Amino acid sequence: MSLEAMARGQWGPAAVGLIVGLFLLAFLVVPVVNVIYVAFQDPNTGALTLINFVDFFRNSLFQESAINSIYVALMAVVLASIFALPLSYFTTRFHFGGAILIQTLGVLPLIMPPFVGAVAMLLLLGENGSVNLLLDEWFGFTIPFMEGLNGVILVESIHYFPFILMNLSASLNSIDRSMEESAQNLGASGVRLFRRIVFPLAMPGYVAGASLVFLKVFDDIGTPLLLNINNMLAPQAYLRIASIGISDPMGYVISVILVIFSLLALWISFLALRGKDYATVQKGGGGLMKRDLRPWEKAGCYGVVIFILLLVLSPHFGLAILSLGTVWSFSVLPDAYTFSHYMRVVSESSEFITNTLLYAGLAAGIDVLFGTAIAYIVLRTNLIGRKWLDYAAMGAVAIPGVVLGIGYLRTFYAFNVPIIDKPLASWWVIIVVALAIRRLPYALRACVAALQQLSVMLEEAAENLGATKGRTIYRVVVPLMSGGIVAGFVTSFATAAVELSTTIMLVSQESDAPLAFGIYEFMQSAAGRGPGAALGIIAVLIVGIATYVSHRIIQRKETQQTPDMAIVAGV
Amino acid sequence: MTMKKTTLFAVAFGLALAVLAAPLGAVALEKKLVIVTSYPPDTTTTVKKAFEKKHPGVKVEMLKKKTTAGIKYLQETASNNRSDMFWASAPDAFEVLKGDNLLQKYKVKIKGIPKKVGAFPINDPEGYYKGFAASGYGIMWNTRYLKAKKLPEPKTWADLAKPVYHGHVGMSAPSRSGTTHLTVETLLQGKGWEKGWAEWKAIAGNFKTVTERSFGVPDGVNSGQFGLGIVIDFFGLSSEASGFPVKFIYPPVTTLVPANIAIVKNAPHPKAAAAFIEFLLSPGGQEVLLDKKIRRLPVNPATYAKAPADFPNPFKDKSIGAAVKFDLQLSKNRYNVINSLFDVMVTYRLSDLRAATKAIQAAEAQMSGKKNMAASKLIDEAKALVAKVPITAAQASKKEFNAIFKKKRKKATTKVTGRQAEIEREWDAQVKANYAKARALAEKAASML
Amino acid sequence: MSMASQNAASVVIEQLSLAYDTTDVLKDVNLRIEPGELFTFLGPSGSGKSTLLRAVAGFGPTPRGRILIGEDDVTRLPPWRRNVGMVFQSYALWPHMTVRRNVAFGLEERRTPSAEIPKRVDAALDMVGLLELSERRPSQLSGGQQQRVALARTIVVEPRVLLLDEPLSNLDANLRVQMRREILDLQRELALTTIFVIHDQEEANTISDRIAVLDEGVLQQVGMPMELYDEPVNRFVAHFLGTANLMEGRVETGDDGARFAAANGIVLPLAGESHPAGGERTAVFRPQDVAIAASGETVPGIVLTGRVQHREFLGNLLRYSVAIGEDILLVDDTHHPGRRAFAVGDEVVVGLRGEQVRILEP
Repeated sequence: MSLEAMARGQWGPAAVGLIVGLFLLAFLVVPVVNVIYVAFQDPNTGALTLINFVDFFRNSLFQESAINSIYVALMAVVLASIFALPLSYFTTRFHFGGAILIQTLGVLPLIMPPFVGAVAMLLLLGENGSVNLLLDEWFGFTIPFMEGLNGVILVESIHYFPFILMNLSASLNSIDRSMEESAQNLGASGVRLFRRIVFPLAMPGYVAGASLVFLKVFDDIGTPLLLNINNMLAPQAYLRIASIGISDPMGYVISVILVIFSLLALWISFLALRGKDYATVQKGGGGLMKRDLRPWEKAGCYGVVIFILLLVLSPHFGLAILSLGTVWSFSVLPDAYTFSHYMRVVSESSEFITNTLLYAGLAAGIDVLFGTAIAYIVLRTNLIGRKWLDYAAMGAVAIPGVVLGIGYLRTFYAFNVPIIDKPLASWWVIIVVALAIRRLPYALRACVAALQQLSVMLEEAAENLGATKGRTIYRVVVPLMSGGIVAGFVTSFATAAVELSTTIMLVSQESDAPLAFGIYEFMQSAAGRGPGAALGIIAVLIVGIATYVSHRIIQRKETQQTPDMAIVAGV
Repeated sequence: MTMKKTTLFAVAFGLALAVLAAPLGAVALEKKLVIVTSYPPDTTTTVKKAFEKKHPGVKVEMLKKKTTAGIKYLQETASNNRSDMFWASAPDAFEVLKGDNLLQKYKVKIKGIPKKVGAFPINDPEGYYKGFAASGYGIMWNTRYLKAKKLPEPKTWADLAKPVYHGHVGMSAPSRSGTTHLTVETLLQGKGWEKGWAEWKAIAGNFKTVTERSFGVPDGVNSGQFGLGIVIDFFGLSSEASGFPVKFIYPPVTTLVPANIAIVKNAPHPKAAAAFIEFLLSPGGQEVLLDKKIRRLPVNPATYAKAPADFPNPFKDKSIGAAVKFDLQLSKNRYNVINSLFDVMVTYRLSDLRAATKAIQAAEAQMSGKKNMAASKLIDEAKALVAKVPITAAQASKKEFNAIFKKKRKKATTKVTGRQAEIEREWDAQVKANYAKARALAEKAASML
Repeated sequence: MSMASQNAASVVIEQLSLAYDTTDVLKDVNLRIEPGELFTFLGPSGSGKSTLLRAVAGFGPTPRGRILIGEDDVTRLPPWRRNVGMVFQSYALWPHMTVRRNVAFGLEERRTPSAEIPKRVDAALDMVGLLELSERRPSQLSGGQQQRVALARTIVVEPRVLLLDEPLSNLDANLRVQMRREILDLQRELALTTIFVIHDQEEANTISDRIAVLDEGVLQQVGMPMELYDEPVNRFVAHFLGTANLMEGRVETGDDGARFAAANGIVLPLAGESHPAGGERTAVFRPQDVAIAASGETVPGIVLTGRVQHREFLGNLLRYSVAIGEDILLVDDTHHPGRRAFAVGDEVVVGLRGEQVRILEP
């Protein structure tokens, strides 16, 4: 830090930045490097080498896996876009009853562990699932929804499409009506208006969401494994790392390759977005342009929306039926219904629920705290290395959960926490740390976006009237960022609550286990399928209600503040 | 959340109390017991409840890991061990831990447990781990599925290789599941290296899927994703008991092996651990195994008196699991090679294998009732190509060769040539070519008929 | 008025330089602003005038040189310790606070006794005539009302200096005149040292006691509006304050005193005596100082003939662009009803007198 910066009262931000930086170093960089390092070691001698990468690229199985992974990720982006586009467009551009409900329902798939979704989807859409049994009975044919890679693509796109939905909706919401009005004035309308003005303006949001979907699908392990698909990169990495006896560094090599691919996807989206972050809210602008629909148009739109919602919520329906059914085997619906699964879960497993609320709440809290701090440091100070703080925090999005989990076990097992005398890697706090690191990018993006919209002058006015930097942050910056902070908190909380890939490696005793882990455990026995599903439904309800409530809070805040925010941003 | 805080406090407080109380009650059990186990909550919670009822002072923590992950966990955490016991099915998993010097010897006090179940010794002869239940491997199927698809019920492993089951069978991979590994090994030992692999590949050619977890198989059969599965008995028995429309049988060539429990070296709560073993082997503990959610074969013969009518009793019914004398040493020597071979030949090349098998089955179907020497020769050639294994039995058990597949890096002084990735790549190339060629030959044979 | 500030302070800027990265934004600025003075930084956009104002308030990178407020060197003080009130161009009202809470903010930050705060807030709001709107949110106010809230928020803390960054630029024409008057009344009432940043010279002229003209980060000239108009020191100032005719040439010493020989051949006798000869110089004269008449009529001073090329009607006067050879001269003629106007294309004569020509220092 320069002398000048100190003179300017940047001691505080510098200290906070240092703390955040050290946190990221200790809990992100070091563990990941610890894992990556193995990829560069000769398996026999331990010497540094690139031979493992040569082995990787020569192996036809790995080549095939790489191609499959890319194919699945791309197709999932396409399918997810098809789901997200109508939902976000109809709800943001038209006067559409139940828009908030639709938006909330549209986010629900994200808050169910994908492996749980896959179980339900198999029961509904699998080769001998309800739909195909009916099709076979009535028409004598079946549709291979869930066969091979199809199943992975379908489950993944249903699970992750909310990323596109949320980002695209945010983008569409920020397009000023004057943009569309001037296009209409120049003769554009209908589809052309959408294609030439609305979509290009919404592009940044779309690309941000789509690249996130690509990344997540590319890194996901649970879904392909549950569907017994092995020949993709992430499952190969997991199988090779997690299986005893297979000691070869290939799992680590694949981890490195996953990380590289993910960074590449991030970089491409960054390039695509560079210089396109249109500030479209104009001074004195009229806000959003919302149009009324003609009755028949409305019916059509509702039809499309309902069809999509039915499809993307089918895992939830499947899970709900499963949680209430007695035996569901090779039949369209369960043989009989019962509440006993819920009774059992509530009496035996309330710990999972409290743990989840605790972990996800703490993790999301850490995330918005750090997200706000990093956003402030990046956008409002000239501290040296502030960009790296941002990159490191965002980089977490490119780190597959398994890699982080293994890194933690490797790095922190030998470290004993004083007082409680336990290894750090098996203390429940480490789960919170892992969740916080994994979800930090979401919260950070939300915080950065919120701070970017905030005119510096609002802060300068406070400083001018005698408020120090700290007081200014407390009284002006944080209150005005609150919409973004709440959004960040919700995203982090909701997704952390259903995370499994890292926690499965870090849970060291059952009393520390969160919901997703509990569901996974239940699903490991014949009699546990129903209770597992019941636990899943409870998880979805908790997170869903939390999300809906915060949506309402944000909405209310926005209606209060939008007009002057426009003025502020327009200057 | 207050729970966590109070836990912290209680630990600190408890430590202080323990120091004070130590001279007073030297024989008292520790307050806690941490068990690493591969068993599902249905098993662990039931046993845990029964144990805690017997010893109210002890709180049992069940740490659920897949067998393979559990071994890895104990290895990784050995330097700072916090686990008391390892509790899982596959004896070879315990052999691995014993080999790594991670287990503690223990002498059981309870009497009345026989030396053997089937052809298998119940306890580790060296005293490191104890059998508490017996498990055998068999076939389970979904009765609705079989009825809907008009499939017959299988009786033997060889039945599963029949064309009628093509695309209807599921199994887990030995590298993913300790129990599956035993199943594969049992058949290899029972039929010999070449014949054993040939039979496995003939069955695998009918696979619908190779599941990632061993429970994936009963799960798939229960829900009807596929019709038949190769599973360990308690999966089949407990699914049946839970009301699913499934059935389970032991084929003749199977082995009954004990499911085991052992105390981990440097266990923080050794007395509670010892009490847990004694409880598990006591009549009270053994009865818990008969619970319909668990359904394991008790090792204490007296317990069978309380079992339901159709419950298999290996101490009476000598046909169960006595046919193969399982060689544990052999299994241990080639453990990793078997895993890797199976993955390369079956798991990762399932679609190629399935295509070749389908072509052979089609050719044979056309063949039936006809005589065509040339075509018959081609089909035999194709079958031989599918069955081909890249290495011999002798090679598979060679120490130096196995070292390549070992998890832990050897000391610099041990000379190891070759990398696992390199070898698997060679195998993969051979296998892929063989399957493709077999398919071509079978199709050629079919065209000649 | 109890709020009237007794602590109006001088502002002294010494050798102030400032750079963003490698771009110099301010170069060696020296200024002294007297207590209670109404001062304006004037210049085109990018001239550094806003940067200078922000430097006084303590925003932006730390400059080289010194800034003194009263006796205190504030150069290295953070903004919150300077006691300088700033009204932002966009008003920068906090949207999450009511009008009252906006105005109370500065007092709260200064740990003013809480019993005193409502009284002072009411007084300030009363002063700007917004007392009855105190519970509204900024988004519910008009532009002019927002401006008043911003003013109230600033003066309520009794700053030693009041800074206003383009205070009128966001208002429409009518409101602008009204607000200008209100701000001036307020300033007079409080006797605050006040610095404006303005880009419009007419507005600067109407408001300011004195003006500092800036261009490209360099202080060009400081003076009262009339001084700047009548005696610009360079082409920039001459151009920026009002309309000017500029002519390149040399000063020569002839038999009857000094004269200016323009490059286009026109020779102007110069009044006064202090015109050292030699070197390239620029002559400046205002359009209203040039007489115009129809061709053939007489005009005072040096007479040049030309042709009307362009004509603008500005209400009180007519502005002609007259082509004389290669050059264009701007000539203003007062307008009265009935008075004849020249048409584009008319032949005219224009008259220039030496005493109205100012020769710029090199």
